[in-house]
Amino acid sequence: MTTLSSSPAAASMRKVNKYYGTFHALRDVDLDIPPGKVTCLIGPSGSGKSTLLRCLNFLEDYDSGEVRIDDQLIGYETPGGRRMSARRLREMRRDIGMVFQQFNLWPHMTALQNVAEGLERVRGFSRPEAEVRAREALAKVGLADKEANHPSRLSGGQQQRVAIARAIAMQPRIMLFDEPTSALDPELVGEVLGVMKQLASEGMTMVVVTHEMGFAAHVADRVVFMERGEIVAVGSPREVFHDAADPRLQSFLQGYRERNSLEF
Amino acid sequence: MPDLLHRYGPDLLTGFGMTLFTWALGTLLGFALGFAIELLRRFGPKRLAWPIRAYVEFIRGTPFLVQLFVLYYGGPLIGLRLDALPAGVLGLTIYGSAYFTEILRAGFDAVPKGQIEAARAMGFTDGVIVRRIMVPVMMVSALPALVNFAIILTKETVILSMITVPEIMFQTQTMMSETFAFVEPILILALFFWGFVEVISRLGRRLERRFTHYLLERS
Ligand SMILES: Nc1ncnc2c1ncn2[C@@H]1O[C@H](COP(=O)(O)OP(=O)(O)OP(=O)(O)O)[C@@H](O)[C@H]1O
Ligand SMILES: [Mg+2]
Repeated sequence: MTTLSSSPAAASMRKVNKYYGTFHALRDVDLDIPPGKVTCLIGPSGSGKSTLLRCLNFLEDYDSGEVRIDDQLIGYETPGGRRMSARRLREMRRDIGMVFQQFNLWPHMTALQNVAEGLERVRGFSRPEAEVRAREALAKVGLADKEANHPSRLSGGQQQRVAIARAIAMQPRIMLFDEPTSALDPELVGEVLGVMKQLASEGMTMVVVTHEMGFAAHVADRVVFMERGEIVAVGSPREVFHDAADPRLQSFLQGYRERNSLEF
Repeated sequence: MPDLLHRYGPDLLTGFGMTLFTWALGTLLGFALGFAIELLRRFGPKRLAWPIRAYVEFIRGTPFLVQLFVLYYGGPLIGLRLDALPAGVLGLTIYGSAYFTEILRAGFDAVPKGQIEAARAMGFTDGVIVRRIMVPVMMVSALPALVNFAIILTKETVILSMITVPEIMFQTQTMMSETFAFVEPILILALFFWGFVEVISRLGRRLERRFTHYLLERS
């Protein structure tokens, strides 16, 4: 539908196919992630949103096609070639932040330790330096006063904000979110979306799988609708939500509106 | 009784010491070997999976006494000539490793996959993931079973007497056959093991608290 910017993509997929056994989970996916923008991925359950997202940092391997981060092929040395070395893959992943539905904080570490760990072990900062930076990241998500708490003593919303702090402290070039608010009680969703909005306003490149249509409508620069492993529609929120032409997209939005009986 | 103690006291003390020594070394080395095997199974080449399985099943499927005899009397046939003590410690190590491996496997399997994925997605090396995340998280669920097996091993040490390792069982048996006293040696043996196991359980509980402190601290 539209091209948002002419600058090179922060990440891109070309003819990506992915199988789980015989199940075809991604079908010829072509996608460009514009830098400094928020791209939201929507679609019915099982349509392949998580699979797509996880191919971007190669947590899931793909069977054919190309996935690039800042023009660098990830996962393979050459398209269709050998696997890239574990070391090279780690180097690329350092620059890709990821936030999960289940937070996935390390339970035996305090909030501060959770954030400082990667700075020390992956970025190579000394422990004191890592902690200084970790505190800054925690302050940014509004949790400066919770640094000594273990995850078991944080609410879901707080845990997810620590997880975001853990990712942004690494100063990634792109952030991937897989349904970051789906495991939260409704009253805690706002605080997490608030942090994400702030991040977006600072120009972070974000790819967000979400069922929060309100967030997609108001914060996304670009919305991608998937179904059955295919990208069916791509465009601005207005184009996707209001001018939807594809019948599959229309029925998805219809279903959503009926379930939530609200306008966006 | 005082007479007996006077006469056999020194031998009994050596026996206690020997039991403690073989247990501590066998447990430590068995744990280390079991840990190494588990890491190999998890991160090593796939073709090792089958031999490892066979090893574990063989060790778990045969009595410790049989393994010890194979090692001590069968070893020389393949040029492995060991004194009783090294043979005993090696036997305990091998025997323990199979069980420790299985306990660790279950423990590692219980670490939520997402916590490992989060680290992998950030670019952690496998080594750091194991040391900093998998081991501390795994210990919460596996420690009771590890301590329990260490306790079981205390009692397996008596089997070393069968290949003449002068541990406590060996000493009390000598005492019995020389004096025909029965009750006293058995009583001493029982009291010793009871105290020994009690100490290990206490240490185990202290260790458990160390690994689970974050679960207990509630405001
Ligand atoms: N490890 C796996 N093995 C086999 N099939 C899988 C695996 N992971 C996902 N799938 C299948 O691939 C399809 C796409 O899954 P995916 O998790 O990407 O969907 P999704 O769009 O994220 O759905 P949801 O909104 O429920 O999270 C689903 O049909 C799912 O059953
Ligand atoms: Mg999903």
